[in-house]
Amino acid sequence: MKTSLRIPLLVTSLTGCVLAISSVSSPAADNLIKIGALLPSSGPGSYFGVQDKQGVELALDQLKSGVNGYKFDVHYEDSACSPLPATQAAKRLLDQYQPDVVIGEECSDATLAVMPLMDRAKIPLLNAGSSSIKITDPGNPYTFRIMPNEVMQGVDLAINAYKRLNAKTAVLLHENTNAGIGNAKVFAETFEKLGGKILEDIGFGRDVNDFTAIATRIAGLGNIDVIPTYTLEGQGLKITEALTQAGIVKGGGGKAIQLGAIWLPFGFEQKAGKAAIGYIRIVQFDPTEQRPVVRDFIKDFKAKFNTDPTHLNAHAYDQIMLIADVVKRGAKDAQSIRDGLSATKDYPGVTGSVQFDKSNQNIKMDTVHYMETKPDLSWESLKWN
Amino acid sequence: MLTVILQQGINGIVMGGLYVLVALGLTLIYGVLVQINFAHADIVTLGAFAAYFIAQLLSGNYFLGIAVAILVGGVLGWLINAAIFTPLREQRSELLPLIATIGVSIMLQNAMLLLFGPIPYAFNTPYSSRVIHIGSLFFTLQNLLIILVSTATIALLYAFMKFTFLGKALRAVSQDRDTAALMGINPNSLIMLTFIIASALAGMSGALLGPVLVLTPFAGTSVIVKAFAIVIIGGFGNVEGTIIAGLIVGLIESYTTQFLDPGWIDIAVFALLLIMLAVRPTGLIAEKRAENV
Repeated sequence: MKTSLRIPLLVTSLTGCVLAISSVSSPAADNLIKIGALLPSSGPGSYFGVQDKQGVELALDQLKSGVNGYKFDVHYEDSACSPLPATQAAKRLLDQYQPDVVIGEECSDATLAVMPLMDRAKIPLLNAGSSSIKITDPGNPYTFRIMPNEVMQGVDLAINAYKRLNAKTAVLLHENTNAGIGNAKVFAETFEKLGGKILEDIGFGRDVNDFTAIATRIAGLGNIDVIPTYTLEGQGLKITEALTQAGIVKGGGGKAIQLGAIWLPFGFEQKAGKAAIGYIRIVQFDPTEQRPVVRDFIKDFKAKFNTDPTHLNAHAYDQIMLIADVVKRGAKDAQSIRDGLSATKDYPGVTGSVQFDKSNQNIKMDTVHYMETKPDLSWESLKWN
Repeated sequence: MLTVILQQGINGIVMGGLYVLVALGLTLIYGVLVQINFAHADIVTLGAFAAYFIAQLLSGNYFLGIAVAILVGGVLGWLINAAIFTPLREQRSELLPLIATIGVSIMLQNAMLLLFGPIPYAFNTPYSSRVIHIGSLFFTLQNLLIILVSTATIALLYAFMKFTFLGKALRAVSQDRDTAALMGINPNSLIMLTFIIASALAGMSGALLGPVLVLTPFAGTSVIVKAFAIVIIGGFGNVEGTIIAGLIVGLIESYTTQFLDPGWIDIAVFALLLIMLAVRPTGLIAEKRAENV
């Protein structure tokens, strides 16, 4: 055989081999739904990632036998609750893992940063923990959110504060992030429209440790009915303690009620102790609900982790199970998962039901659960929704 | 309004006292070695965790927790100097130890993340929830403890530096290491002593800060930037300057929160830093050292 013919033949044979190997391996790959997880596992929001992973692991355990012949695989990247690391993590995920769908992030700033990347790659992003309205308004065709956004939470919280708690004055406390500012703004607009008065709007950076100075300032504002607070757990603890020491909130003998949205994890009350008494907050998951899906989730979670589940465990579990439901309805790749998510109607999740509007926002208000901390630090479900 | 001004004064002095404790360790090391120890923040965090585990889980004795935190800090200081600064000092590079301490910092943070996890700890001492009211003013017993311990530590350190032979020898080494060696002082032993004292201070400040801070493996990082600013404003390596600067920064924080907005705190503190660098780069109190002569 001439040398000139040998080379093309060799190349053709090699190519054939590669194609043959890839065709042998492709059915396995085709029967795998690859889920990328952008979760914070470092920095101040890392408690989100730890608890999210537990929810994901429980869901994966239950999906071991697969759905419609498809198995599920999850690859985690640390997105650190911050835009830059989240963007880098998303790029790694898209380039190296090539997921069919991505879950995350928890912090709005980080979610907003990765959304354009997912949109460009045409990979659906299923979010369960970011509240900024900008995520779905305007949003993009590939970003879906199952949690109530800041408008849904803020409007509802303000109405309940004014009508049910008879609050006429409020002081807003929030971290200076998209979500913190956005949540506070929505509350303020609704509360003022109803006739309430915002006495002060106090924003702070995530590096503030001591809130005694802020509590001192608030103590000088006179008669305060409610203090809506939007911050992560660590600062949330310090704020509640400082407000108690200054005698402003119920836990410290004052009359103001601290209000919160879906920011704080379960167990906050036990850490804050007496300071948390009277705190009313929205949680994403009501462990007192009697729906079978909730009872089963709590039972299975306790069996696996020997502890009670939190709303973070619950919403991560919901994310994976919703993807599985979409696969059950026939989805098999990124585009069909996106379309399947979009067509979701009354999906019964642990956190509540799911049905997306045109902007891919879950419209179901049964995901908003109000809890009040009692003197023994237990919760009373207020059943306001 | 007078009450509010007084109350914010108390708040500022408490925070300032804590900053001083953190910054003193930095300034001591800088004074002797002309080096910055980036791992200082993580020794603060480890001190906080040491005190937490001793006080909360083992004995319930917060003071025993503080003692263990001092011990943990001192041992870490000895280790960092022995493992990093001593071998690298011979290479006479300013950059290598700096980079090495950044490496130690990252290593310690991740080790703590593995050991303690990322979820914030609630470090409550028997003193942190007990509020003392004097008229309209209030402070916790923990705040009082912080002020008392900070004052006692500063006084002891000041007396040590001014009146003991070791303290005078330390100052001699910080002013001119070679001449001090000619006078019979062993600079290496004194550098080791400086590291141990500075890190023990960091451990103690961690134990006191623990109940104030959001206690996570990254807790020290949130105060170290302010501590660096305080060291620069006070005058690199100058103990008196650091004390004054720490209290000024604490007061700026509380009064900025009261009269402007907490969002302005860093702007105000770092504006002061820039002004000091422009107008008086040696800091509030300039330290005499060989290269300044």
